[in-house]
Amino acid sequence: MLSNRHRARLRGFGRKLFNTKKHCKRFDGDCLSLADVPEPMHATIYCNGDITTIERGLYLGVMIKVLRNDITEPNIIVAVGDARYVLDRRVANKIRVRIGD
Amino acid sequence: MNKRPTIALAGNPNVGKTSLFNALTGARQTVGNWPGVTVEHKEGLYLHAGQEYRVIDLPGIYSLSAGSPDEQVARNFILTEKPDLVINIVDASNLERNLYLTVQLMELQTPMMLILSMMDIAKSNGLEIDIMHLQSHLGYPVYPLVLNKKPDLPALKTSIQHSLLNPAFPGIIHYDEIVEQSLTRLDTALLPTIPEEVNLRRWTALKLLEGDPTIAQKVPPVILEAVAKETKAISAHRRQNVDAVIADDRYGYIRGLTKDVVKRQALSLHTFSDRTDKVVLNSYLGLPIFFFVMYLVFLIAVRFSQPVIGYIDAALSYLLVEQLGALIALTIVPEWLRFLVVEGIGGGIVTIGTFIPPIFFIFVSLSFLEDSGYMARAAFIADKFMRRVGLPGKAFIPLLVGFGCTVPAIMATRTLESKRDRIFASLLTPFMSCGAKLPVYTFLVMIFFPQRADLVIFSLYMSGVVMAMVTALLLKKTLFKTEPGNFVMELPPYHLPTLNGILLHTWHRLRDFILRAGKTILMVIVLINILQVITIPDPFTRRTAADQVQPRVPILEVGGKLITPLFYPMGIKSDNWQASVALISGIFAKEAVVGSLQSLNREPGASVEENIAAKFGGWSSTFAYLLFIVLYAPCVASLAMMFKEHGTRWLIFTVAYLTALAWVIGTLFYQIVNFNTGSWLWIGVSAAIAASFYLILSYSGRNTDHAIK
Repeated sequence: MLSNRHRARLRGFGRKLFNTKKHCKRFDGDCLSLADVPEPMHATIYCNGDITTIERGLYLGVMIKVLRNDITEPNIIVAVGDARYVLDRRVANKIRVRIGD
Repeated sequence: MNKRPTIALAGNPNVGKTSLFNALTGARQTVGNWPGVTVEHKEGLYLHAGQEYRVIDLPGIYSLSAGSPDEQVARNFILTEKPDLVINIVDASNLERNLYLTVQLMELQTPMMLILSMMDIAKSNGLEIDIMHLQSHLGYPVYPLVLNKKPDLPALKTSIQHSLLNPAFPGIIHYDEIVEQSLTRLDTALLPTIPEEVNLRRWTALKLLEGDPTIAQKVPPVILEAVAKETKAISAHRRQNVDAVIADDRYGYIRGLTKDVVKRQALSLHTFSDRTDKVVLNSYLGLPIFFFVMYLVFLIAVRFSQPVIGYIDAALSYLLVEQLGALIALTIVPEWLRFLVVEGIGGGIVTIGTFIPPIFFIFVSLSFLEDSGYMARAAFIADKFMRRVGLPGKAFIPLLVGFGCTVPAIMATRTLESKRDRIFASLLTPFMSCGAKLPVYTFLVMIFFPQRADLVIFSLYMSGVVMAMVTALLLKKTLFKTEPGNFVMELPPYHLPTLNGILLHTWHRLRDFILRAGKTILMVIVLINILQVITIPDPFTRRTAADQVQPRVPILEVGGKLITPLFYPMGIKSDNWQASVALISGIFAKEAVVGSLQSLNREPGASVEENIAAKFGGWSSTFAYLLFIVLYAPCVASLAMMFKEHGTRWLIFTVAYLTALAWVIGTLFYQIVNFNTGSWLWIGVSAAIAASFYLILSYSGRNTDHAIK
């Protein structure tokens, strides 16, 4: 019988072994992560599965502007319409955008 | 219309909802909690044309997805209480994002009215909104307003009255064809469950498609099977999760609407806030500005409050102690009653009165920072170092609120998304010296360090912050090993807060504080006075053959003397038992420490301050004592809140950890400053306590059942 501790370790090992990088369903190779967009570039949201950010206005097709993206910082600042958001780099990494458009 | 119609105010955070609530209700408002949750509930009344109206200020939310307690509260209120009118306050300068909540409110099919706030900012940003056109699209009244300036209240109240008399129900939002087809099928399936209300059926179907867990619990399993089938079909068709599809479609509707009603005169590439943020959030200047602002808050609280404390103390002492004492002396009342009324209640009120100025200035400063929009920037700046200690930057806001009071600070951790972050931040809030500790610092520091009082007080505050960081690092390495939650936060535009808004905000907090803490302080002071009068035979003095009777001492003195040896390593000598008793009273309310020290050190021949100075002996024992006060267990109100939010386990941890840490730090400080050979023993004991805590936490963290995710 495995202890909880060993069960958790085994689960972690399994996740590492079978984890393949999954792109979003709309991924077509022509987009990049929002966290990789340099400031002060404009970008259009191409794929976003995070409901929290969608509800704040980062929906498909909206144009955003990266106001601050310093790789030494854990967050980026984006302008969405007239709103300004601080986005965690981990959240920004999951949002796919196309530069310009 | 109802006898007393209920109006609910709903809107995004920072849109001026509370300003409107204050403008409508004025001082006729009550603040409490929503039942079962620690989300603030604000309710008020106003009169217009002989009719009384009840206004509910719902929490500021971005959506009605029920993802957070705030959203749940707002949604449940509209669904179950069925208000007569929902006033949706919308920021005109950020119409598109704000209309998302509007669309969700429209889906609830309640009578609505829309208020466009911040019309002045929208105008300065070059936005022109065709209000009549917007009204015709939405199907209910739209009212433009500039909430920072004094609004035309009679006209607004008349509009509200008109909306109540002629309720306008919003139109239905149409989704993508595939979603509409699914909604129709689910609508039919839901017919036996919700037979009467067509609109509620459509809304329930929509929520089921969005995967709302609360709604899913309320429908039969057969419907959930149908929902799963529909969800799969939509997801395959749109290559997106259904909740994202629905949110996108809502934005599709909003985008069409705004294109139709908003004209952008000039493209505002960089607003005033953007330009200010270039400086305030600058990589090099941001942090110094942040520390300067924090220092300014304490400087204001200490410097501005000092002269006011003197006036309040003199005025209240004259009225409630001298004059009341003289008046009672004229009547035939027993001495104990005179003592209780004058020294106990009168003296207690004087003590409470002296706390008000520093707390008032702390609350004014915090309200100013919140209302101006700087608080969110501070959270962004703090995020860099908060991450290093295992917390998201958003956790900085509850910590900052902790400088006002620990109770709302623990409540404010509710804004954090993950349970891990909420518990973690709550554990750190007591380290932020609350407003109640300030009178204690001020009182003792003015006796021992009158020349550099502000610097010493600031160092006490900073020592709390430093210990919070050390604790956070310890917890990050042991109990909270996982990553902090995601940080998504809006940077609201900078506002010049209104004096009325700040004062009302401050007043609510101060009133709550005085009522809550005042009662406890009065009780503690009266209890201390009673325990000081009741005497028992002195167990510390041996009766000699010459003594006829055993000498009697107050019960409080015996209790104090019993626990004083515990504080001996911090420099508290056995004759200073008053300091130990004051620490116990501080568990009830921190300010009670001052009251206890004052009432216990009243001895003939010298002033209270002189007696305290003589008993503490020197600055090092006083500073060690102050360090103990900075760090030891928070007051009962905070502990009750901790229990309510996180349960018994974390309550016990808070009390044990903080008190042990306070003792260790106080002892280390005193022993290092007054180093001698005996100091090694106490330094060793302190190190052993610290090591034990580390080992216990490490062990708990290794056990996956105890680790917090």
